Amino acid sequence: MAPPSDTSQPRLAPGCRWGGTEQDRVILFPEGAIKLQGTGRQVLERCDGTRTFADIIQQLQKEFGKTDPAKIRSDIGTFLEQLQKKRIVDY
Amino acid sequence: MRSNPLALIAEITHRCPLHCVYCSNPMQLADVHSELSTGEWDHVFAQAGKLGMLHAHFTGGEPLARADLTELISAARGSGLYTNLITSGVGLSEQRLRALVDAGLDHIQISFQDSREDTANWIAGSKAHAHKLELSRAIRRHNIAFTVNLVVHRQNLDHLEEMIAFLEQLSPDRMEIAHTQYYGWALANRGALMPTAAQVEKAVNVVAEAEKRLAGRIRIDSVVPDYYAKFPKACMGGWGRRLMLINPTGKVLPCHAAEVLPGMNFENVRERSLEWIWEESPSFQRFRGEEWMPEPCRSCERRSEDFGGCRCQAFLLAGDATATDPACSLAPAHPIIESAIREASSQSAISRHESTNSFIQLQKTNQDLWTYRTNPK
Repeated sequence: MAPPSDTSQPRLAPGCRWGGTEQDRVILFPEGAIKLQGTGRQVLERCDGTRTFADIIQQLQKEFGKTDPAKIRSDIGTFLEQLQKKRIVDY
Repeated sequence: MRSNPLALIAEITHRCPLHCVYCSNPMQLADVHSELSTGEWDHVFAQAGKLGMLHAHFTGGEPLARADLTELISAARGSGLYTNLITSGVGLSEQRLRALVDAGLDHIQISFQDSREDTANWIAGSKAHAHKLELSRAIRRHNIAFTVNLVVHRQNLDHLEEMIAFLEQLSPDRMEIAHTQYYGWALANRGALMPTAAQVEKAVNVVAEAEKRLAGRIRIDSVVPDYYAKFPKACMGGWGRRLMLINPTGKVLPCHAAEVLPGMNFENVRERSLEWIWEESPSFQRFRGEEWMPEPCRSCERRSEDFGGCRCQAFLLAGDATATDPACSLAPAHPIIESAIREASSQSAISRHESTNSFIQLQKTNQDLWTYRTNPK
């Protein structure tokens, strides 16, 4: 598998969903949960199956104006690829 | 204040249409008349949600044997819990599956005994295999997570590759390949189930290869054979550290097997709150922390990783619940494990005959080989 392409539409995998409280948001999946804060949370909140990977990156690049856009793209791509391997994200 | 429990294991009934020879249920099964009612379980889930638990794992026996399962799933989900159904699939029609999904079921885990129908039915003591196949296809039509579980042992390890290929075509999200753990019925049948060292070694490679090949498509979770490991497993993530198991009668245990331990008094949700049991009960405190540990655990640098291993295994094999888990290579009682391994490797690996494929015949021929799990009253 590879990181998402520009046209992929990342979404939570079947049986994975948000839980926890507003301050402590977690993604629940069959055998566990991950707490999401900061950028990770911002990324996953945009993984709604509608936005494309390109959309998500573009939006986050605006938020993090000072960071190198290529680095943002590669970091988010790697992050989603890892979650995909854990069967938490699909794209 | 200690951290809250993370998950509830709801062992809602001991009734089961299968009779798997490796069943982890206690030999002393709870009878149907003593089971908690729907309302009592609702109250348990509400408390679990308030305590900050995240998951409710529905297991048994066969959870589907409870006619009120849909209501129970709905109650657990309503209390904020992620709901996981661990099942043989027997008793699950497509219509009932839909009702469960509508009630908030998040994840279903179906057990398979083998890729070959005759062997699968032989191990389960029941003709369930064909139904499981059909059901797996139905599950994929719903938006829930799907795991297939395969318990491996001496009788099926030699065709592990074939079994993985078989499970793969069911398109699950996860595949759990679990070496038999020797408690309850599995311990009684250990002679027929314990793999040889060669089988275990080969299995490790087969699983590693499958993990690589299926990466991104199917996640593989393995349960290692602790008899063959150098260090013991961190059983349940440590005694009273993460999980609470409630048995069909409402007894609250730190793990599946704890009832075998002598001199312990486990509280019941009919009399005490979950919070009190977690925070205050002597049973949950018994093996928390390091005070109880003997040497070599007490001064071992791994003590905060494996917590001295499994208390039940220490009792079952070494006769002392406070001993270092005999599975640990440093344990004084480790020779017990070494001798079990020697015994397993000195006999030919496969005890069954290859030629027959009649299920009835297989059952008859192997009556001496093992004891099938019975059913409660």
